[in-house]
Amino acid sequence: MITRRVATSLFAATAVTAGAGIRAGHAADKVVKIGVDLSLTGADAQEATKVKDATQMAFDEANTRNLVPGYTFELLILDDGTATAGQYDPAQAATNARRMVSDSDVVGALGPEMSGAGKAMTPILSQGGLATITMSSTNPDITNPKFAAQYRPAGKPIYFRTVTTDAFQGPNMANFFADVLKVKSVFVLDDSGAFGVGVADSFQAQAEKKGIKVLGRDRLDPKAADYSAVLTKIKSLDAEGMYYGGVAQAGVKLAKQAYDIIPKVTKGGPDGMTTSDLLSGAGFPAVEGWYTSIAAPHLVDDGKAAKFVADFKKEFGTAPSDYSITAYDAALVMIDAVKRSAAAGGVTRDAVQAALMTTKLPTIQGTVSFDANGDLADRTVSVFHIEKDPTKPLDDVSAQYKYIAVAPQS
Amino acid sequence: MTFADLLLQQTINGLSLGAMYSLLALGFTLVYGILELINFSHFNVFMIGSFVALWTLQMFGLSGQEIILAGLPLAGVLLVGFAVTMVFCGGLGVVIERVTLRPLRNVKGPAAMITSIGVSYILFNVVLLTVGADSKNFPNPLPAIRYHIGGATLDFRVILIWIIASLLMGGLYLFVQRSRLGKAMRATAQDPEAARMMGVDVDKVVIIAFFLGSALAGAGGMIFGLYYNFTSFIIGFTAGLRAFTAAVLGGIGNVPGAMVGGVLIGLIEAMGGQFIATAWTDVIIFSILVLVLVFKPTGLFGRLAPTRS
Repeated sequence: MITRRVATSLFAATAVTAGAGIRAGHAADKVVKIGVDLSLTGADAQEATKVKDATQMAFDEANTRNLVPGYTFELLILDDGTATAGQYDPAQAATNARRMVSDSDVVGALGPEMSGAGKAMTPILSQGGLATITMSSTNPDITNPKFAAQYRPAGKPIYFRTVTTDAFQGPNMANFFADVLKVKSVFVLDDSGAFGVGVADSFQAQAEKKGIKVLGRDRLDPKAADYSAVLTKIKSLDAEGMYYGGVAQAGVKLAKQAYDIIPKVTKGGPDGMTTSDLLSGAGFPAVEGWYTSIAAPHLVDDGKAAKFVADFKKEFGTAPSDYSITAYDAALVMIDAVKRSAAAGGVTRDAVQAALMTTKLPTIQGTVSFDANGDLADRTVSVFHIEKDPTKPLDDVSAQYKYIAVAPQS
Repeated sequence: MTFADLLLQQTINGLSLGAMYSLLALGFTLVYGILELINFSHFNVFMIGSFVALWTLQMFGLSGQEIILAGLPLAGVLLVGFAVTMVFCGGLGVVIERVTLRPLRNVKGPAAMITSIGVSYILFNVVLLTVGADSKNFPNPLPAIRYHIGGATLDFRVILIWIIASLLMGGLYLFVQRSRLGKAMRATAQDPEAARMMGVDVDKVVIIAFFLGSALAGAGGMIFGLYYNFTSFIIGFTAGLRAFTAAVLGGIGNVPGAMVGGVLIGLIEAMGGQFIATAWTDVIIFSILVLVLVFKPTGLFGRLAPTRS
């Protein structure tokens, strides 16, 4: 029988063990908690794990090297993916935001990865005065002052990004379709999510501006299995290109069926399709030839990232993704903000938010600074082409996605 | 593609979907016909069937899309695959009935239905937590033969799926109509009390209905994997809901009704995607269901359920 005393001591023992790994060596320090929200359950879990590992790595380094003297970082890692959704779940993300806000030790946050989660979290984070840095969510509405009443009701910008937004990711890919691939007509699809709809809308608008004929627009149910009806429609319209705005859950099935029904059509997608979840779920030959983007410079193969890539591989036995790097950068930016607010007199949520606004920090992707809304000043969108490299693991993003170029800016 | 080609192609797409929905709808209808119970655990028996099929095929050394079989090896692998999957799922259905539903058989109200929803969630989460959330690549040992009919293409695997689904459904129909046990099932469906008095072992009939329905769901799961080349813990919901709709559309409890209902839902989905938009699929399917039920509450072929004496 578990008495209350036994239960208490069991609980205490667990808590101590859980804390021990991070706190080692600085037992007397004040604890600074950083909330982390990622989509660790569901179709995007592999990518989320790479992001989580990179984040953890940055804070472990900060603690062991005592980067902020007198303070020890502790992470509150929360999962916004649920079994019922099969991917990120906005309701769960809102619950997580509440948990972060109600924990007074939490002074800053990282994540979420997904814009749909971001839209659900920002009203709560804003009311709680808690600033977050996202490593991969790219929907422009969240930081757009036009929607301030919705996403930052308390006024101050609290949503910072170490990636650019779909205001550039979608349009720059449309430019790439028009200028580089010379595609004359496209059919546009999305996956019903906030991110997917947004990036597909912005792609479509720019495609029309560039003179690409938009033959149609449809929406996929990510839980359905069969997309043959709409793909047959695309075939019947003789579309030269197809752009899919969305993440892997619908993307995997779309890639497989598109390979059967419209093998010759030029296919493109956003960063939601630049993921090992696509490679392992749909596999070759179905994924071959897709053009995908990321809302950041391509860094994994870059000399500047070599040390990070090597450390990451050594620690976790697998290659990082580009969003591991933007996550690592986000962590560096957060650590820097905490450090500057500590030096200025106190680590509070307000101080961290103010410090983030004035960030100018050299990171792996270059110097990170934010505009007045929290968006990244650098607006690079990189394009990849999936080309099979049989000598490397077939689900390794860095081996199977060949970097093409920076997409043309509008 | 000409308009005729397009219609033909979407008909092919719809019939393939419909074959799967039909197999799944039969399980709802068999159980409902006898117990007047909507068995929601059926959704995820189908999903588990696709995983059992995946593991069985992997035991033959098949993985990914590279290994293609033909002739006798292909027939052998498919036969073993279907046999293992169907027996496993049939057994799972029987266990679900015996452990969770039989104790509630004489409880009035929605208790049994709620229990079946609970079982469905248990199965779903067990798969999620043990095999993981990402989509699994399903081996495709079928040769990539394509026939062109005008501008439309017809895959060999589609024909194979039609053949397998027709054989299974035809077999079930004959079993229900001709065999002694089938007669016992029909008798139980008409009036369980009278059937019991005439010496029919009702428990046995219920077990057979669960076994057959779940085995067909398992076959549907394997067909799903072969057709779409992936599986995931989440596939049961959309397919299950549409199959259930098919069963109601055809007249729940009615075996031929479920088959026709499944094919109709498949065709509606394909044509809706072509002429309206995929985004509206569920709206279209359920609007048609509502319309049919408003004008013919028993479904297209008439509802068959036990009459309580």
